[in-house]
Amino acid sequence: MTATNEWAANHECEVLVIGSGAGGATTAAILAEAGHDVLIIEEGPWVDQGEVVPFSLEQMDRQYRSGGVTVALGVPSIAYTEGRCAGGGTEVNSGLYRRPPEQAIARWQSEYAIDDFDADGLLSICEEVEAELTVQTVPGEHTRASEILRDGAAALGWQHDESPRWMSYPEGGRAVDGKRQSMTRTYLPRAFAAGARMLTEHRLDRIVMSGGSATSAELSTTATGIDQPTTITFKSVFVCGGAIQTPAILQRAGFRHRVGRTLAVHPTVKLAARFDETVNTPDDVPVFQVKEFAPGISFGGSASHPGLVALSLIDNWRDFGATVTAWPELAIYYAAITSQGRGWVQAIPGVRDPIVTYRLTKRDRALLGQGLARLALLMLEAGAGEVYPSFKQAPLVRNRADLAKMTAAFAATQASVMTVHLCSTAPMGENYKRTATDSFGKVHGATNVWVNDAALLPDAPGVNPQASVMAIAIRNARRFADERAG
Amino acid sequence: MSQQLAPPDVTVITGAGGWLGTGLVAAFLSGDHEYQRAGRLRLLVRDPGDAVALRAASDRVEVFVGDIGRADTARDLFRGLHHTDAVGSVDVIHTAGIIHPNKMADFDAVNHQGTEHILRAAENAGVRRMVHVSSNSPFGTNADVADTFGHDEPFHPYFGYGRSKMDAELRVQDAVDRGLNVVMVRPPWFYGPHQPARQTTFFTLVRTGRFPVLGGGHQRRSMVFIDNLIEGIVRAELTPTAPGLAWWIADERAYTVSEIVETVGRALTAEGYDVKPNRLKLPNVVGDIAERIDGVFQRVDKYNQQFHVLGEMNKTIAVDIRAAQRDLGYSPDVSLYDGMRRSIQWCREQDIEL
Repeated sequence: MTATNEWAANHECEVLVIGSGAGGATTAAILAEAGHDVLIIEEGPWVDQGEVVPFSLEQMDRQYRSGGVTVALGVPSIAYTEGRCAGGGTEVNSGLYRRPPEQAIARWQSEYAIDDFDADGLLSICEEVEAELTVQTVPGEHTRASEILRDGAAALGWQHDESPRWMSYPEGGRAVDGKRQSMTRTYLPRAFAAGARMLTEHRLDRIVMSGGSATSAELSTTATGIDQPTTITFKSVFVCGGAIQTPAILQRAGFRHRVGRTLAVHPTVKLAARFDETVNTPDDVPVFQVKEFAPGISFGGSASHPGLVALSLIDNWRDFGATVTAWPELAIYYAAITSQGRGWVQAIPGVRDPIVTYRLTKRDRALLGQGLARLALLMLEAGAGEVYPSFKQAPLVRNRADLAKMTAAFAATQASVMTVHLCSTAPMGENYKRTATDSFGKVHGATNVWVNDAALLPDAPGVNPQASVMAIAIRNARRFADERAG
Repeated sequence: MSQQLAPPDVTVITGAGGWLGTGLVAAFLSGDHEYQRAGRLRLLVRDPGDAVALRAASDRVEVFVGDIGRADTARDLFRGLHHTDAVGSVDVIHTAGIIHPNKMADFDAVNHQGTEHILRAAENAGVRRMVHVSSNSPFGTNADVADTFGHDEPFHPYFGYGRSKMDAELRVQDAVDRGLNVVMVRPPWFYGPHQPARQTTFFTLVRTGRFPVLGGGHQRRSMVFIDNLIEGIVRAELTPTAPGLAWWIADERAYTVSEIVETVGRALTAEGYDVKPNRLKLPNVVGDIAERIDGVFQRVDKYNQQFHVLGEMNKTIAVDIRAAQRDLGYSPDVSLYDGMRRSIQWCREQDIEL
């Protein structure tokens, strides 16, 4: 392995890649394989897959930023999570894979004027990614919580399917036997094999600018027991810190045009459903998704570790709290929407984390309520005896008449709204009024600064965005390499 | 889809003096109508004036006058129809309802309690099948213009009318659990001949260019021409299915409000009316304000039709009819344009000025 956290010196490289998630790891691999001298820096630690239990509280402590949850301010505030480890979000997310919808690709191309951007090109990169990450459906037995989604949707005649995952399974393996093919097992080793180096547990303090050019990066360590500032000089820099950190990094470097102004997310609301059998699999998430009302509303299953079950009941703890002891019979599900709202990311001088705000529109709030009600109906049809919606003063739902009480009582402002799909804080394209970078991620006004992560997506794709992020990052990295090869 | 049953020996129709009921009776009695039936019709009307005309229509018709909010009305209506009375098969089509009442309490008395009275009386008589005419209102409105209600949806009633129609649906499910063979149809906004004055106003507003189009007119609305609705009701009655099912009965697809206004304008022009271009484009907030005023009125037990209708105008109410197509073989043949032309022709035949 070529990743280390002990490297207290000044260094040089040709290309500095900031961040090692879905955007950074692919960028590093493509550029290193094209012969460039690549150095990756990552704020979090290297944690091998299997070292911590997936979706556990320990994982939240070690591999997420701020212990798992950060909050975008607004009414309601929206909780979000960011991976902070080698491999970024790919190490800790649900591993569900969806190609970018062709509709979204066409919309991005036309509204943002992205050059050389079409479905054929991106989807052929998706095929490469699918082979690299062994994207597949579960060969063997599903978890009970997963089957519940499938059965409830089938009872209602609602369109649903199994989302493939980037997992490897033994022959005929069950859902719980899957091994996640995250960046630490795929693109990062590929980058190392091609000569890339990686410095973990080092946080970028600032990019030093000279006119429109970035010249060096100043880092400090986040590992305990080491306290030595590091400076890295480079020719080019790719900022791949994710949709929250990337705009903050750019803003601190002086880039402001359309940076951090158009945060897009898929807001979600949740419920816990109780069945008269064991349904909870703490270390896995359901793979079925309900697309009957997509792209507006989608349903899926959430991680349901006992701690997360408690969290899902907390909005009405007085009435619901006692149920937590029955956690093996409970599973958590979400309703996600495509939002018309947008948010801001703003770096504040002297403060470590940026301020994030997000505003749901009236339609968004209504759609969250409609989504939660339909999800509750699906749970009743799947045989749930009790449904616990996650909002303040939520009633317990046992039958259809209770659903009317639930819809009457629902207010998005009282709900625990959260999201995991953050994007669009440095949109790409030639439409200067709407974009922060050109069609290939080069920051407007910069000579050698690129963005190559979820920040580039012009808006939220309506599906799990990791495939979109990886395909676009690979496309842009290839363009960079090709231009320098000629 | 199963083979359809023959029409029953006796068809009981509540709300027979109403818009939909009048259309059903006309279809059943008309010699050349696709759905004409030979058996007796037993009709319930609230207004004694309606009874006179209906009695004159045919000697196969019996007319009862009464308020279904009262339990004895329903008992009287089914007198002599008990299965031991050897009258043959009896079906019930329950269309009676109130949509624009004088006071809020009427919603519950008529739509909810009235339905319960009819269900109990039908159950007691041992009828073959009952069709309850519900609405989109128990389900509210779509939260997004692109959203469409599936055939099964969680309740989210829109104000007092929606609550009363939801409560009626819950009583229907209770009756199914007790063994009654009852199903439901859910028409959204319907239109066509026999329409009341408030719908005639709609034509006049379009003709004079004063129909309030809110927020660009992109909202989608499902509508159903009355003949399409009659087809849906009859198919729900005569197609053997499990009790307790419910179907959206609407035209093939939802229309945008702009498309509706434009189509009605074309239909009026084709019928020889002088149509002015629509000028009344209002921001969405007008609908929001009207909705809020409607809510305030309804909370203090008052009902204002103008605010209610305007408050709903910027909403999408779109439904998916595929379940009715699949289960009932329902196929709405009349297009919006043709349906509107026929409505306009009917108005002219009645000497109604548009």
